[in-house]
Amino acid sequence: MDAQSYHPVSPGVGTEENFLSLDDILLSHQRHPVRTECAFPRLGFLDRSSDSEDLPEGTKMELPLWLSKGLYERKRRVLSVELPKVYKEGWRTVFTADPNVVNLHKMGPYYYGLGSQMLHFDSPENPDIAQTLLQTFIGRFRRVMDSSQNAYNEDTSTLVERLDCLEKALFRSGQSGLNGFQSWEKGRASQLTASSLVINYRKRKMADVQA
Amino acid sequence: MDPSEVEFLAEKELVKIVPNFSLDKIYLIGGDLGPFNPGLPVDVPLWLALNFKQRQKCRIIPPDWMDVEKLEEIRELEKREEAFTPVPSPYYMELTKLLLNHASDNIPKADEIRTLVKDIWDTRIAKLRLSADSFISQQEAHAKLDNLTLLEINTIREFLLNSLNCMFKLRSNLQAGSSGRTFTDY
Repeated sequence: MDAQSYHPVSPGVGTEENFLSLDDILLSHQRHPVRTECAFPRLGFLDRSSDSEDLPEGTKMELPLWLSKGLYERKRRVLSVELPKVYKEGWRTVFTADPNVVNLHKMGPYYYGLGSQMLHFDSPENPDIAQTLLQTFIGRFRRVMDSSQNAYNEDTSTLVERLDCLEKALFRSGQSGLNGFQSWEKGRASQLTASSLVINYRKRKMADVQA
Repeated sequence: MDPSEVEFLAEKELVKIVPNFSLDKIYLIGGDLGPFNPGLPVDVPLWLALNFKQRQKCRIIPPDWMDVEKLEEIRELEKREEAFTPVPSPYYMELTKLLLNHASDNIPKADEIRTLVKDIWDTRIAKLRLSADSFISQQEAHAKLDNLTLLEINTIREFLLNSLNCMFKLRSNLQAGSSGRTFTDY
């Protein structure tokens, strides 16, 4: 039913990214606030609001994760990284209070992934962040499981819209289990159907390729 | 694993049939079957029984447990107990479905049996979900799940494995963060 022409690589979630995971590639484009700790000559164009050619020390700006991760070093301070506000203390209290009310899709959508990546940057809050990530996941697990195992043949968009990307993937796997069982029970599994690959296969015309 | 694969495995279960034809012993790789004599009950795998039944060459005798009273007992026990109770057959769901779909005329009170088995299944799935949730929320490392059948495990397997993987990674973050792992260049 959901056979695909390729096997998607799942996101790495932890501090290590999966090189081939599309989710992790998108994740590495997430911007977050940083502060430069030394002057960057000739990189003024990175900061749209200033006209100067160089990027002076102490500029506050947003950089994508891949860049800040590359520039960040513990010994030579080039950048200091600020936490996005979802991972700050204020939001952490919200997550500890009731993780189910938060719209993680709006907050993330890579709440868990970005949070784990944030642990790369030295911060005294790191253990707390890791703890909150885990507790949030555990707190939301029941909701994700129940909705994915019960929503059969109905519109799932309202159930999914508040889920993080990671939870969405879980939701899908729960749904595939449920759908598989239901179609077996209804006797639909015994009917032979053409593979989706065959249905979607269209021979490319030579003219299309050359055009 | 697909439910139809589980069903395929279930078709190896033996059921009793009463054939209405005579045939010598047949020798198959999986074992010898028969001999078949009209009116004499004989054990055959489910796939063969269904094949004979479809050609109207036999009458299927339902398994002992496929009986309204016994199933009601099991259902009550299942509701009362907190842990999973032993099921009458490791393939109870598959057997019920196949037998009721193909040989409902040989099974007394087929509709009631169907409802009862579905009830048992629903209770067990609810229990399975409950225990999965408490397993996750208490962050246990291992659990003992006795008396679960393959089909039941199969419906939740992918979901549970994926979430356990995620949880493991989020948990290893915790340790990496506290031990101050050295950060290497990228």
